[in-house]
Amino acid sequence: MVNFAVLAREHWMHILVPMGFVIGWYLDKQQDKKLTAFRNKSALYSRELKPGEEVTWK
Amino acid sequence: MLKILIPTTMLILATWLTPPKWLWPSSLLNSLLIALTSLLWLKNASETGWTFLNPYLATDPLSTPLLILSCWLLPLMILASQNHTSHEPINRQRMYITLLASLQFFLILAFSATEMIMFYVMFEATLIPTLILITRWGNQAERLNAGTYFLFYTLAGSLPLLIALLLLQNSNGSLSLLMLPHLGQLELTSYADKIWWAGCILAFLVKMPLYGVHLWLPKAHVEAPIAGSMVLAAVLLKLGGYGMMRILVTLDPLTKELSYPFIVLALWGVIMTGSICMRQTDLKSLIAYSSVSHMGLVVGGILIQTPWGFTGALILMIAHGLTSSALFCLANTSYERTHSRTMLLARGMQMILPLMAAWWFIASLANLALPPLPNLMGELMIITSLFNWSPWTIGLTGLGTLITAGYSLYMFLMTQRGPAPSHLLALEPSHTREHLLIALHLLPLILIITKPELIWGWTA
Repeated sequence: MVNFAVLAREHWMHILVPMGFVIGWYLDKQQDKKLTAFRNKSALYSRELKPGEEVTWK
Repeated sequence: MLKILIPTTMLILATWLTPPKWLWPSSLLNSLLIALTSLLWLKNASETGWTFLNPYLATDPLSTPLLILSCWLLPLMILASQNHTSHEPINRQRMYITLLASLQFFLILAFSATEMIMFYVMFEATLIPTLILITRWGNQAERLNAGTYFLFYTLAGSLPLLIALLLLQNSNGSLSLLMLPHLGQLELTSYADKIWWAGCILAFLVKMPLYGVHLWLPKAHVEAPIAGSMVLAAVLLKLGGYGMMRILVTLDPLTKELSYPFIVLALWGVIMTGSICMRQTDLKSLIAYSSVSHMGLVVGGILIQTPWGFTGALILMIAHGLTSSALFCLANTSYERTHSRTMLLARGMQMILPLMAAWWFIASLANLALPPLPNLMGELMIITSLFNWSPWTIGLTGLGTLITAGYSLYMFLMTQRGPAPSHLLALEPSHTREHLLIALHLLPLILIITKPELIWGWTA
């Protein structure tokens, strides 16, 4: 029987780096959304989005 | 961008919280995870070239290969350092990994900065962990001297850069890397403008290093612990090349005339440092001088400012980063067994560690730019563009490559061939860890052959 309490006590710090990745990925995504909003509105790139299209580039 | 930076910060935290038993395996796996995640940067869908943007950081085709190289090197450094730090107190081991991780953190910020002052600050910040690595983990008393050389050469070179950048900010109102290429030509005519040009470029030439201001490098390499040598050869020197490629766009009309003596010096340096390698007795010093020689070619390629020159310089920087780091690891495997860097004292290693000799052979061939390795691709592009600039350069570059082949073979023959001396018969066998370490250096190098456009920079 695996003792989960001991396992968690000894190994909880191994989750830190993957957790950092998830947090970073989330913050990057938020930032992308923010910049995308700016770009879709910019005079140079703004146009009517086609159905199903999210951004004005790619 | 943050999806790499935050895990790197967490890695530092995890290093101090992990139980001693799991310290090295967990930091190795975590850093490898970060390195593999960094490969996401290769996906560049943006039409402007700049991607993974946030207000301060971004990647573009020029910085991506260098960023990935920085991330790739951390697990390799951790893998290489396990043996020689194993006898130290646990907190000192934790400190060592913390320094390596913080170095990676600063390097990522330096390569991905979208602003010259931020790049400058991070450029300087990388000095601190490296200096601590050299002066606290070096093997001999001379490490303090090497640390002083390292610090003061780089600082003295880069302080004029700060002034030059502030001047540029004053006249332009922006130091954004996204803006600099679109500013148009500056009015650069006066004598002071020429001094400003020198101020802009000097820091990077010292960091590369250019022949003449290179004396800090062999000292730092020889005295540094293995991880210090690896990161110095593989990434820190490339900060100079990267910075130079970034700043050159603003220096446009002046560089054409003023770069002449520096190109001559760089090419002359290729021959001189190559010749110094031919008569080296110290293995680490030989590899260090061979770095100066290769970087001379990179300086030449960058300063003539053609697309081929830039691409060749970037390819050579990446290829040289992997190759010289692998050579330092190989030198360390023999140092850990014989406790000497003198090549004469460790001959005939092929008889004792035959598989290691195979790695030595491949790494030496990579160092002398064997086709079809990217080392050759880079050198060839630089030599071609230099030849296009002035046919006379072929004399210098041709002789340079000949000497490079000469000292690479000299290094291989001196360390691996010949009779094994009697005092070396009872050596430790090679470890799987060491083979993995070299394989992880040479595998990317070989894989790049199949998709070289990844390291072509803006030309791709």
